[in-house]
Amino acid sequence: MNILVFTKRVAATQEEELRIRDEGAAVDLSKVPFKINDWDNYSVEEAVRIVEKEGGTVTAISIGDAESDEVLRRAIAMGAKDGFLIESDAVMHDPGARSRLILNFIKKENVPFDVIFTGVQSEDDQFGCVGGILGAILGLPYSSMVIGIDAIEKDHMIIRRELEGGLQERVKLAVPCVLSIQSGINEPRYVSIMGIRKASKVERKVFKAADYPAENAPGIEIVRWTYPAKKGGATMLAGELDVMCGQLLGILKEKGVYQ
Amino acid sequence: MSYALIVAEVRRGVFEERNLDSVGLAALLGKETVLFVPEGPYQIPEKIADTIVRAKTAEETFLNPLNLTKMLEQIFAGRGKPDYLIFTQSSSGMECAPYSAGFFGLPVITDVSAYDKDKGIFYKSYYSDKVFGEFKPAGGAAVVLTVRSGSFKECAAERSVAAKIEELSGIAETEGRVFIEYVEEEKSDIDITKADFLLSVGRGIGNKDEIPAYEDLANKLKAVLSGSRPVIDKMWLPKPRQVGTSGKTVKPKVYLAMGISGAFQHIAGMKDSDCIIAVNKDTEAPIFQYAHFGIIADIHKVRDKLKEIVNG
Repeated sequence: MNILVFTKRVAATQEEELRIRDEGAAVDLSKVPFKINDWDNYSVEEAVRIVEKEGGTVTAISIGDAESDEVLRRAIAMGAKDGFLIESDAVMHDPGARSRLILNFIKKENVPFDVIFTGVQSEDDQFGCVGGILGAILGLPYSSMVIGIDAIEKDHMIIRRELEGGLQERVKLAVPCVLSIQSGINEPRYVSIMGIRKASKVERKVFKAADYPAENAPGIEIVRWTYPAKKGGATMLAGELDVMCGQLLGILKEKGVYQ
Repeated sequence: MSYALIVAEVRRGVFEERNLDSVGLAALLGKETVLFVPEGPYQIPEKIADTIVRAKTAEETFLNPLNLTKMLEQIFAGRGKPDYLIFTQSSSGMECAPYSAGFFGLPVITDVSAYDKDKGIFYKSYYSDKVFGEFKPAGGAAVVLTVRSGSFKECAAERSVAAKIEELSGIAETEGRVFIEYVEEEKSDIDITKADFLLSVGRGIGNKDEIPAYEDLANKLKAVLSGSRPVIDKMWLPKPRQVGTSGKTVKPKVYLAMGISGAFQHIAGMKDSDCIIAVNKDTEAPIFQYAHFGIIADIHKVRDKLKEIVNG
């Protein structure tokens, strides 16, 4: 089974204070570290596990600037055979534009595949749309929130998708298809610095996004960036550690959950 | 004709409450509202929309993007394309919305949590709610939306008359994707929804080896230990301990969140707790917007100090 897996380099903003620049024109990411999108880490792992068992190859593809080579090296270190970078300096906020770029790339370069994996969403824009749009414009079956792959046959797969409240549904999908992989589907393998260094010796192919122009479809535009509206907010406990912890225990007592 | 089409979610025979957020946004948009629903023995408030279209198909086949796009095609053939095609930001909305956008060549904006009527701008979360993008469809084109639950419910006004009921039949079911069965969560001896006091840990605990120390603190405080999605994904705690939309919705007397930044899906699962106390070293963590009390500190130090005080 040949699997294309899309992997994105994203800003790791979990513990960073983000500042908006130029009166809302941009978010300042100049001091923020970057990493592989968490969901893509799970998809690469899932793809590699499948080919380790069933045979076939995994090709990791990334859209982004030259720095995105980093997530391709990482995917190769995890077990992908090839890494393709579709180089684009402009950040494409519109998932529709990204999906159509991928469609044109796959068609023009005649990239063979049985299944395409994307992450459910990326940590930065949280759009969660590239897989779904791609499935539709390729005319292929699609499922998102894939939390388990139970069986793989020549012409179909049995998967489980996550619903709300701990419920899942089991679904049969015809192959070829597009799947968006949910975090927690597996335990991604550890990637060592040595492994990445070794992966650097595998040649990655670079393509230019401009060579795969999309037809003009209606899109969305970003007007500006804003900070979230402040709600009530918490009463902040202050002082030395033992003072704050004493206050915390006081609240627990007052609420009657701790004597 | 100018209208907003809402694809409603029915799961296990329940008309999901989050549909009201879609109805609320449609009201804000000021369009005639058509609510599209599957068959089933469930109740819908009859004045919820101008028109209710009932598909002659069950919920499992209805919320299948391949079937759904075919059904929407039938509706559009009769009414024309809607100005807004609205889904909830949920497991099914997150696959049906982009698939429909791709299928019909429409733009899409997901996880919409606010709308500025004067500017025609939709607010969408970026970087786990640290900033928001103000988006609009280019050229004022029709657009597909998913709506964050809890965002527009209060805008959902009752109509003066009951909705007109229409039926959609002759639905062709796809072979490309077929529902097999629902799968229930594994049974657990601990039900976190029954606890009065939850100590909940998040990504901020750093690694699995820290879990026993938090378990110990929970035992000392007579709290039950739960976790946010990253902790469950990494298999540091079992799935039945997960708080959030894909896990459990909890309402304890006290919810003590340590090292949880407060992704929206987590907040949705605990925001109705009587008292929320958040401990996090990130002053910008969104959870402080929802907590009643907050401590900005290293969570391990807070943990150790609490144990020290409790031990006397």
